[in-house]
Amino acid sequence: MTQNEINWPAALRATDSGEQAAAVRALREQLQNGLRMALNGRSDVSEAHLEDFAQESLLRVMDRLDQFQGRSKFTTWAQAIALNVAFTELRRKRWQDVSLDALMADGERMTEPTMIADDVLGADEDRARLVATLRHAIENDLTPKQRAAILGELREMPFDQIVELLGTSRSAAYKMLHDARRALKQRLHEAGITGADIQNAFNL
Amino acid sequence: MKPEDQRLTSQQVGSIVKMLGLTRDREFNCSECLQHVSEFAECQLANKPVDEIIASVEQHLALCPECREEYEALMKILKAGQ
Repeated sequence: MTQNEINWPAALRATDSGEQAAAVRALREQLQNGLRMALNGRSDVSEAHLEDFAQESLLRVMDRLDQFQGRSKFTTWAQAIALNVAFTELRRKRWQDVSLDALMADGERMTEPTMIADDVLGADEDRARLVATLRHAIENDLTPKQRAAILGELREMPFDQIVELLGTSRSAAYKMLHDARRALKQRLHEAGITGADIQNAFNL
Repeated sequence: MKPEDQRLTSQQVGSIVKMLGLTRDREFNCSECLQHVSEFAECQLANKPVDEIIASVEQHLALCPECREEYEALMKILKAGQ
């Protein structure tokens, strides 16, 4: 039987301990091979890391077996989880020294005129109005935590790290960011700034 | 970091307005995206049309650089296995 023909959920749940152990071994190997390919060339990833990621991924997959809906191949679904495990850990290591106070302070500074460089305003009148409206909305419509979270996103800070620094859950942090984006969008809409205006102003 | 280094650049302000342009009232969060990204990846690989649920994955990937990074890595693995 090839790996494509294996009924993975059934094999991983098998009451026959030998069958289950074989499935676990095969899946761990497959996940580790995938991670090796995806992370090839990164100086911060060793073979030992790959083994740890694969083991952690396997536990995560087993824990979520009931969530597999069969809308994709099982191995694709499991590999997506493994990549999430690995990248989340690698991002966490990169950002572990950032403090919320520093991020909040930066978020506060987002409202200061000097925080938007002069060349961002540009000579174009529509663009200058858009940026001014955005700055006003950031200052008046967002909470300090929302400002900090948006700044974290702009700096490509891992979402999990933003969650940790804000001291909340993933879903609450995502809602905080989503609400912030919706508030800013609404303010631009109320100012009569359309999607086309935005695209023209920033050549999107 | 010097104060001038903390200024939002034109690119960053552009990123904010781009995010606003992509913002919808109802969106997938990262967990929902992860639950469905494997199906989206397989559809992309097979050039198959996507339904409404899977289209929400595409919208999330446009907004979330982390999920996009993981999706691109997944595509790399799937393409190598073809």
